[in-house]
Amino acid sequence: MQVEMSRRRFLQGGVAMSVVGGTTFSATNLFASHEESHGSVPTTITTKTSTGEAKEVPILCGMCVNKCAAFARVEDGVITKLNPNPYFPKSRNMLCPRGNAGIQTTYDPDRLKYPMIRIGKRGDGKYKRVTWDEAYDAIVNGTDKFKGLKQILDEEKDNRATVGYANGEGLSKEGFEVLIGQKMGTPNYVDEVSICLETAGGGFFSTIGTYPEIDFEHADYQIIAGANRAEAIITPDTMDMFKYTKGRGLKTICIDPRFTNTAAKSDKWLPINPGTDLAFVLALTWVVFKENLQNEKFMEKHGVGYEEYKQHILSHKYTPEWAEPICGIKAKEIYTIAREFMDAESPIYYPGRRSVFSPNDYQLRRAMAIFQALSGNMDKKGGYIFGNRGLLPAEYVKQPIYENTKERFDTEGIAFPTLKSGSWIVFRNMVLEGKNPYPVRAMLMRKHNPMMSVPNTTKTRAFLEKMDLNVVIDILPTDTAMLADVILPEASYLERMSPVKSYGFLEPSVVMRKAAIEPLFETKTPEVIFKELGEKLSKPLFEVSKKHDVALQELIKEKGEKVAFEEGGYNLAEPFEKPIEERNEEVITEVFGKKAWETINEKGVYYPHMEEYHKQLSPNDFQYYPKNKRKYTSRGDSLKIVCKNDSLTSGGIDAMPTWDDAWKFSVPKGEFRLITGRHAQFTQSGTQNNMMLRDLIPTNFVWINQREADKMGIKFGEKVEIKSDIGAIVLKAYPTEKIAPNQIFLLHGFGSESNGMEFAYGNGGNDATIIKDDIEPMYGASVMHSTNCKIRKV
Amino acid sequence: MARYGMALDYKNCINCKACEVACKEENGVELGAEKHRIWVGGNNPDGQWPLLDIASAAFMPSQCQHCEDAPCQEVCPTNATYYDENHVVRVDSDKCILCSYCMNACPYDARYVDDRTMTVDKCTFCSDTRLARGETTTACQNTCPTKVRTFGDLDDPNSEISELLRTRDHFSLKAHLGTNPKLFYLT
Ligand code: SF4
Ligand code: SF4
Ligand code: SF4
Repeated sequence: MQVEMSRRRFLQGGVAMSVVGGTTFSATNLFASHEESHGSVPTTITTKTSTGEAKEVPILCGMCVNKCAAFARVEDGVITKLNPNPYFPKSRNMLCPRGNAGIQTTYDPDRLKYPMIRIGKRGDGKYKRVTWDEAYDAIVNGTDKFKGLKQILDEEKDNRATVGYANGEGLSKEGFEVLIGQKMGTPNYVDEVSICLETAGGGFFSTIGTYPEIDFEHADYQIIAGANRAEAIITPDTMDMFKYTKGRGLKTICIDPRFTNTAAKSDKWLPINPGTDLAFVLALTWVVFKENLQNEKFMEKHGVGYEEYKQHILSHKYTPEWAEPICGIKAKEIYTIAREFMDAESPIYYPGRRSVFSPNDYQLRRAMAIFQALSGNMDKKGGYIFGNRGLLPAEYVKQPIYENTKERFDTEGIAFPTLKSGSWIVFRNMVLEGKNPYPVRAMLMRKHNPMMSVPNTTKTRAFLEKMDLNVVIDILPTDTAMLADVILPEASYLERMSPVKSYGFLEPSVVMRKAAIEPLFETKTPEVIFKELGEKLSKPLFEVSKKHDVALQELIKEKGEKVAFEEGGYNLAEPFEKPIEERNEEVITEVFGKKAWETINEKGVYYPHMEEYHKQLSPNDFQYYPKNKRKYTSRGDSLKIVCKNDSLTSGGIDAMPTWDDAWKFSVPKGEFRLITGRHAQFTQSGTQNNMMLRDLIPTNFVWINQREADKMGIKFGEKVEIKSDIGAIVLKAYPTEKIAPNQIFLLHGFGSESNGMEFAYGNGGNDATIIKDDIEPMYGASVMHSTNCKIRKV
Repeated sequence: MARYGMALDYKNCINCKACEVACKEENGVELGAEKHRIWVGGNNPDGQWPLLDIASAAFMPSQCQHCEDAPCQEVCPTNATYYDENHVVRVDSDKCILCSYCMNACPYDARYVDDRTMTVDKCTFCSDTRLARGETTTACQNTCPTKVRTFGDLDDPNSEISELLRTRDHFSLKAHLGTNPKLFYLT
């Protein structure tokens, strides 16, 4: 075998570049001064671990959504290393590159360090450092530059829905939802779901009742389509899957337009035309029915509308020959894969969570789930696992009723709008187009960067500029923070304890993140911010309700103001009154007893019988639950496979997955379809200023087919402009045969325009400025792969 | 006293580079894309889209091979490069004069210059960090998501690595050079 052994980095769209060395704790602007820290900040970027005294604090990684468990090694108040925690079944004693580089996020010289309020024009970066009280006061009462919540809500007669809010994924997200949604009373919430995996969850849930876990240990065949587990790491799938690929038990068919690292680990890679996976699954299904390969007994027992689905597939003639020109995959291959799949003992059509790529994604998920069910390999060893539910009960919140608050309105073009988190794109666009039945005047945003995460940055900017008040709670001066009127600096994940979290499925457990160090600078933990903000908002906003809310006025008449305030739940800080340490102790002790609290406090993980079940099997392997204690089967007779769902037709959605030729893939001559995806060394825009990860991915290159690049005279590293209907960015080129001639690929999360982030600023391009804001019809989730671009060398 | 080596189940490797970052954080390795003690090698797949040769795109973690007969040690004029008591090839930075003979002699390109100390640096098997604290894994082994790496004592017949080398086929890199590497690639 020929393998490049040189230390020259293997190019994955990343090249070795000379890189900033040393420390850059410059004090050039308000965002970048490192003085007056409450804790210690190391003076070198990487700190060699010592042989002396150290604390080992259990933490949960916060660099992506997986929450891997780890121990922070703390020497003399400084975190010197993060090591994997071997007790958490889900993260299997590992930390990925981002997890290891988390130290650099906490000690990022560009951290938001103290509260700030805007003193210049929006977007010009002029802020004044203030105290926390002054910042809270600005949110409530405004300044001479912007209005506060009290005035806005008074002007809007206590219609709480005029305040919108947003929060990205994370352990404290629920707290913000409680404070702003349930307690302050606005329904207008948007988060990452409608720009991420909404249809994947929805499709699987409505078809088989869960988004399943996979038992890779006992599976022997998998189709992994449009998912890239070698690079888009999901625990425990990534760790489990690649132990068995490459002729070691799990035959793997990778379907992806791009040759990914997952393709490199597969037995077969078939590049498919973007957005046509549904045709591929329908053709697989046709082969199965035509040749009678399905587990008929299983489907007769569990299928809903099963016979009709069979007829539907056969009568539509979804043959491999039909699918071949649509998908760009040979009919012969489709026959082979369908037969191999049904022939396998424990085949898996990998559910593959990822963002929504095409408008048919909801139906694609339904078709995938049904195809899996045809094998009967569901709710059993080696198959889709439903397993246990989480181990913790839900919490109850006393929620005030605001009579004048209107419902959310972001429903245009959506069959089944989700009440909780709506659709970012539809919400934003309806406001911009004046289609909102009442004004939206403020956005409160925590740990969320819509300027880079929601397609069409021009519109997001216009939307945020329309607001009377923007508040951002975050750890870095993101592009979104630069449009804020008030900025509240949060403690990073290594500086805070977070609410306990429970996981279900095969090996359930409860995990807890402790604070490795005290919050640096003047930052505060989210739960403390929620409490203080709640305290500051309660009375002034109660006054607003008193003035406008007739029902409240009556309650006050009847019970008196004090009782109405207390019983009505108007004390917004109430859910946060107890410090998080106490709340966690209470929950754990109540459900599992005192000993469990001691365990989780020390180890970061708890599950019943942990002491007995947890064993180290070898230097690399742990047992979390013995096999006979894992719940491979939990649904039994109650399992339903909803092949036909008539309730969908009320929203104009097909009751059964059906192909529409409008989804055929085509690119005008001279243009390229833009596709997106992941590498393992970054998490969206959240890691763009991380110095360690920047060494691994210095910028987002644009992948362009080698022969196309040759034709255009584009060489590696040369700058090209990528232009869509809505915008243009300039990136460095990475010519490669790993992508089709009519497609280009680039990483999301680069190209920040915030000069508060020294390393991210102006590095690469922000794909949200060129990706069109198309939505899919089910939930209004954004479709990421529908944009065509022109390319030119600059 | 041990004879440390490492077995790499390289087919598990997904080229995530967690090992590289863990190494840098543990050992305080200088930042910079060229400054790394360990790395993952690989190639772009042979062929043209859509026909690409998967086998040609394997990922191969690499680093100092801790050769039993180390050319780097032979050429070092100041004895800065030496074998420690556990047969780990080490560099004494106090003695290193940056003549860079070792860098040229090493067939595995395992050495680089630390610009902070202006001396040569390379993998130490975490000898002065983790092993010195009594830990039994290296940072790269411990963090690896797919558990590619097994570090251990080749002289201990009961160690996991000895067991792996007894029961699994394996090869060394550039075996024909007679350097006798202590890194073993499991097939
Ligand atoms: S996958 Fe990586 S970034 Fe995500 S939680 Fe785990 S270690 Fe952290
Ligand atoms: S951590 Fe493991 S899987 Fe990742 S690159 Fe290193 S050896 Fe490969
Ligand atoms: S790999 Fe290179 S640096 Fe390491 S022992 Fe061998 S010759 Fe020396």
